Amino acid sequence: MNGPLRRLAMLLMIGFALMIGMATWVQVIAADRYRLDPRNPRPALTQSGKERGRILAVDETILAESIPDPDHRGSFLRVYPEGAPFTYPVGWSSREFGETGLEEAYSSQLRSRRDLTLSDLLAALLGEDLRPHHLVTTIDPAVQQAAYEALDGQTGAVVAIDPTTGAILAMVSSPSFDPAILEEEDAETTWMELSTDPSRPLLDRTTQEHYPPGSTFKTVVAGAAIDTGTAGPETTFPDPTEFQLPGSTATISNFDGEVCNDGVEATVEQAFVRSCNTIFAEVSIATGAEEIGLTADASGFNREIPFPWPLAASVFPTADLVDDPAALAQSGIGERDVRATALVMTMVAAGVANQGVVMHPYLVSRIIDATGATVEETQPIPFERSMAAATAGVVGEMMQKVVREGTGTAAAISGVRVAGKTGTSTGVGNLPNAWFIGYAPAEDPTIAVAVVVEAGGKAGEDATGGSVAAPIARQVIEASLRS
Amino acid sequence: MTRRWEGGLLVGAAALAGFGVVLVNLAAGGGFDLEAGVTVLVFGLAFGLMFAAVQMWAPGASPLLLPCAALLAAIGFAEIYRLAPVRAGLQRWWLLIASMAGCAILFALRKVGLEPLRRYRFLLITLAGIMLLLPLLATSGPLPIHGVEVNGSRLWVQIDLGAIQMFFQPGEVAKLLFVVFLASYLADRAASVPAFVRPAPGLEMRQLAPLLLVWAASVGVLVFQRDLGASLLLLGVFVGMLYAATGRKRYPLVGLGLMAVGAAAAVFLFPHVQRRFVAWLAPFANFEDAGYQIAQAWFGMSSGSLSGSGLGLGRPDFIPLAETDFIFAALGEELGFAGTAALLGAFLLFVAVGLGIALRSRDPFRKLLTGGLTLLVGLQTFLIIGGVLRLVPVTGLPLPFTSYGGSAMVAGFMLLALMLRASHEESQ
Repeated sequence: MNGPLRRLAMLLMIGFALMIGMATWVQVIAADRYRLDPRNPRPALTQSGKERGRILAVDETILAESIPDPDHRGSFLRVYPEGAPFTYPVGWSSREFGETGLEEAYSSQLRSRRDLTLSDLLAALLGEDLRPHHLVTTIDPAVQQAAYEALDGQTGAVVAIDPTTGAILAMVSSPSFDPAILEEEDAETTWMELSTDPSRPLLDRTTQEHYPPGSTFKTVVAGAAIDTGTAGPETTFPDPTEFQLPGSTATISNFDGEVCNDGVEATVEQAFVRSCNTIFAEVSIATGAEEIGLTADASGFNREIPFPWPLAASVFPTADLVDDPAALAQSGIGERDVRATALVMTMVAAGVANQGVVMHPYLVSRIIDATGATVEETQPIPFERSMAAATAGVVGEMMQKVVREGTGTAAAISGVRVAGKTGTSTGVGNLPNAWFIGYAPAEDPTIAVAVVVEAGGKAGEDATGGSVAAPIARQVIEASLRS
Repeated sequence: MTRRWEGGLLVGAAALAGFGVVLVNLAAGGGFDLEAGVTVLVFGLAFGLMFAAVQMWAPGASPLLLPCAALLAAIGFAEIYRLAPVRAGLQRWWLLIASMAGCAILFALRKVGLEPLRRYRFLLITLAGIMLLLPLLATSGPLPIHGVEVNGSRLWVQIDLGAIQMFFQPGEVAKLLFVVFLASYLADRAASVPAFVRPAPGLEMRQLAPLLLVWAASVGVLVFQRDLGASLLLLGVFVGMLYAATGRKRYPLVGLGLMAVGAAAAVFLFPHVQRRFVAWLAPFANFEDAGYQIAQAWFGMSSGSLSGSGLGLGRPDFIPLAETDFIFAALGEELGFAGTAALLGAFLLFVAVGLGIALRSRDPFRKLLTGGLTLLVGLQTFLIIGGVLRLVPVTGLPLPFTSYGGSAMVAGFMLLALMLRASHEESQ
């Protein structure tokens, strides 16, 4: 009887081999395929309802925290005490609508580690603290709040950076919404409304959207021109009513259709302060695409900037412009194919403010554990030098003059030396994008800022950077200097 | 020496069950409480009694069977406690009852050995037949014992004594009696059974009859009790033991053919069997309906991945019948592949030890009995885990020693006692 028994045993062993094989398939080899099936509710549920760490402002104001759910014992609700002004960059973490912003980027640090996965269990046995970690951001709530209020519901973005460290002081996208509504009963409807709203409140305009930077890009061109010795602030260029683009019938004219200075010649400084397109078309061609490209690159254009989340590209298409002076002239005034995010334009201003050294922008200064001990700390590091220190000084002088007597007087603050540059770039139809970049105080800068208002904001087609964006920058700088 | 190791392993299993309870409590925001202590105590008592009984009445038994069963029971108990704490409380009582049943068998056989089982086989098979028929009693009436329909199957009996109401599944114990009967019958008739294939006039009916009865019983179970799993199991064990006894390959082949015919017929005849086939072949395409259970089981197991979500931290509550038929999926979700591999390893060890005992047995009855019982455990494991893993259609069986279920636990310990006794006798 042992022969047949052995064969039966063999059959049983084959059965076990099949079971082990199939279990390996479901749980290891093809696990992701089944786990990520949209009908599997587990991935979304495993984290929701669990305690997550806090997201704190620089002064430890709570921007996001988990509070015990009064209706479900042992379960937590995610709340955002500061509401809509902070939705960007804090983001949200929702069972139904996923995660964004810092909530998404630092999800693994913020999550409770009491999942008792193998590694968590080991950590627990080794006596590690499994409570979630907290983020201490660089956001200054006063500046963030002021920026949100200054935008006043207009579509656009404000980014403010400490130019000496790269710490982001404010990062506002407007319109925004309070993530608390994602936890309410009719959240599904609300979400549909948010998704279909033509003003796109779900879009983070600080980093995920780019615009032609317009005349604010002249800061980059001026830096490149002075750095290379092509021109100084006193260098003069011919001052026509219209600049005839080389090899083209098209022309470039100034904002008001007039000459820049006296119709004969104008200095670079005059052109910068009055934002004359004609002269900067000439300066761009004289400086060359490659030199402008280098300064742009060092400020964050054409780069993958390491950031908590992917950034929309900021583009200066150097290679396409080398043999195309007409396109270069248009690109030199921040038009044509030049695109920039509010973040990168802030880096441009911050570079000038920090004697030519662009610091790497960062949002999270520290990750702390439940006891408050620092787990991870961000050290300020230089991103790149965009221009020589001397050049930055000269460009900075011109920027101060813009605010003192040029297109940016709306950004002036009495008793404070504010430096800036306005821009009014091609938007949708005849509704322009209003830009302002700047920094203050000029002698010892503590804040660099970029403001962009889409489609002219409330001013509509009459909007200019000086009239719409500069006053917002002033309020942001004031709030920063106060706090 | 080995006995001491066995005792140590049993203590380990009891501690594991208690540790599982603590983990579940921790996950729910609690911690150490009475439940953990009671669990350790009950496991210690149940397996301690069995251990003592083996020491006294079957000291030559293999030291591996009991720890395997204890490990399976401990892992299963933690998951039952996590899914249905009330049922876990009942399961502890059942564990004690089962242990006493096992000890009773070891005690009863301490002097006479397995021999009486062989002698009174017709009494046993009659008993098994009656037990199988019990659930077909009217669901209500003046009798204190009723049949109950659960999930479209008539497997349960309710004993209603007014104050005390108990549910049990007599089929679980009937399966054991069936194996004992077959082993006894085949051991005696092994030589003459091949006549079944080429009947000689005047002789065959008497020998054929019991075998045909078994086949009819398995079909009857399927038709009247709608229990696909038990039907397949009976047939499979039957065919396997017939093959082991005679060495004729045509038995397993004919058996497989009968199984296929029976299954095909069942698919056409019974909507509940049809649903199970649909769920087996295309669970994800029938997610809203027949496929929901298997799809959720696969979502759970895949979410568990290598190390699992941790006890009490997954969502096996999405899987229907997770604490009984689908406990393997629930364990796969919370303990991961590490847990399922350990579970399969324990079953594999149990089956290997059982087969070892059968192969070494000199007495044909003991050989067929231990082989048949091992086949019963192995096949049941394959049918239920294979069902969860889509190797075969889901048939609705409890996982031996692991699932929630009192009757199955009692039957499991009775099986364990018989195996231990056979193993002891073989060593003498």
